[in-house]
Amino acid sequence: MTISAILLVIIAVWSLNTGVYDFDGKSAFEVLGKVIEGDSGISLSDKYVVWEVRASRIIMAILIGSMLAVSGTSLQGLFKNPLATGEAIGLTSGATLLAAIAIVLGGHFKQYLPEMVQFSLTGISAFLGALGAMLLVYRISTSAGKTNVVMMLLSGVAITSIGFSITGFLIYLSKDEQLRDLSFWNMGSLAGATWTKNAVLAMVILISYLILLPQGKALNAMLLGEKDAQHLGINVEKLKKQIVIITSLMVGTCVAFSGTIGFVGLIVPYILRLLFKSNYTFILPLSAILGSILLLIADTISRSIVAPSELPIGILTSLIGGPIFIAILIKFKKSL
Amino acid sequence: MIKAHQISYKHKEFHILDSVDVHLGYGEFLAIVGPNGAGKSSLLSVLANEVKSKQQILFKDKNISDWPIIELSKHKSKFSQHNSNDIPLEVKDVVMMGRYPYFDAQPKREDHEAMNHMMYETDVYHLKDREYNTLSGGEKQRVHLSRVMAQLQNDIAHKLVFLDEPLNNLDIKHQYKALEIIKNFTRKANSAIVVLHDLNLAVQFADKILLMKSGKVSAYGTPTEVFTAENISTAYNFPCTICDHPITNNPMIIFG
Repeated sequence: MTISAILLVIIAVWSLNTGVYDFDGKSAFEVLGKVIEGDSGISLSDKYVVWEVRASRIIMAILIGSMLAVSGTSLQGLFKNPLATGEAIGLTSGATLLAAIAIVLGGHFKQYLPEMVQFSLTGISAFLGALGAMLLVYRISTSAGKTNVVMMLLSGVAITSIGFSITGFLIYLSKDEQLRDLSFWNMGSLAGATWTKNAVLAMVILISYLILLPQGKALNAMLLGEKDAQHLGINVEKLKKQIVIITSLMVGTCVAFSGTIGFVGLIVPYILRLLFKSNYTFILPLSAILGSILLLIADTISRSIVAPSELPIGILTSLIGGPIFIAILIKFKKSL
Repeated sequence: MIKAHQISYKHKEFHILDSVDVHLGYGEFLAIVGPNGAGKSSLLSVLANEVKSKQQILFKDKNISDWPIIELSKHKSKFSQHNSNDIPLEVKDVVMMGRYPYFDAQPKREDHEAMNHMMYETDVYHLKDREYNTLSGGEKQRVHLSRVMAQLQNDIAHKLVFLDEPLNNLDIKHQYKALEIIKNFTRKANSAIVVLHDLNLAVQFADKILLMKSGKVSAYGTPTEVFTAENISTAYNFPCTICDHPITNNPMIIFG
């Protein structure tokens, strides 16, 4: 736990120092120190690059990576299966779909909504989209406390396909400016990081983790089956509701702020399972940190590999995630 | 301990349980026996509050569904008939689950003690670092027995354990060991309700027998009262002879 936290800090420093901008020989870390001290001697553009661009983006990568990984791990605990992730079961598409509707059609009904809702319309829609998809998949695939994996994955495919076609239709309808926004959802990027967004993300993460992270024991007990978990003093119904709502909230928020960044929720628990089996008391808190590490590395690579331009991060994570998904499928071939 | 009056349970108009009365005192070992499909497991599920029935079940003079879940888990535990085959954890992690009601994040010393003690008793201590999924059927059963009994290692008086066919897949030595563990548990004024298939083992260990057929109680009482040739051959629809056990003088059932 401590080791991985230290690792995260080291990577954050490396990431801060990586980039196209030239600070006249100084390291970005020195500049950051001066920004925090409130030193007026540094140039405005140095300050802008370090604070508004790099630091805020690093924090966003840490927050988003962490949430995506934890949501993946908790979904796998709920469905008792390592294949359950936001993308596989259609949560991400649900969120993307409603966010897309909000972007394209939002202009028509925005004025009827209260101001608070107007401001965060895409965020709220993404959450509702994720929640709707989640409830649908859970209803279809689970009966009497047992999850049918095939049903789970197939209903995910169905939701993704519906989402894809409606998003396609919206692209067809949309104006140029909206089109740009929409393609941003589909690729996924952390380039839009600001401190306001980070504050919202930090709030969501705080509430979610207060509820989810102590549930490692409960998720372990769920491996025995819901009835036996109940005998061990676990309020199964409450646990399921918490996971459904909190993971939808996390996935929805991530989609609203960074678009679809796939497979983090699959890769991170997969790596941790290799080390700790399925012991959720370890893998749940550790996935919070490893998720940050993974996304931060991926983001730093994505913005430096084709410098001065940048590669959408979704491409990188899917590139790593796809083969791992196949590896899990092969490993679980017998039990599916 | 536990009182249930006139329990009925239906699944799609089909009576699985039909007005069953159960009454169990402190320190009693009750064996539920009967042919396949008699409703033994369903009765255990209803009593253990897994499925809701319309009738009240009084556990320690309080309706069992009014108990807080966490508190109830320290007073009673249940061994299920169908244990999951796929639990990607080590054996000691599975047994430690039995201690979940007692600690928050880190197991305390007494949790480790209870876990190790029960692993010794059920003879799985040497397997503690093995992965659960690689065990044989009988070993898995013992791991779960160990977990269920570790859950009730505490200072509370008069605890209750439900066991649904705990002897499945066990070899003869471990069948006796398992029943000894349950018997020792009931000697300390705790109670046990156990679904068994082996009538001769039931005679040796149980204080009371509940013989079921087609969702109804067909006989209830001490082993000597229940195990008459007539009761058994009617319930199982199979001929049998009863004679005295040469050593214990209990009834001994010979089928065929």
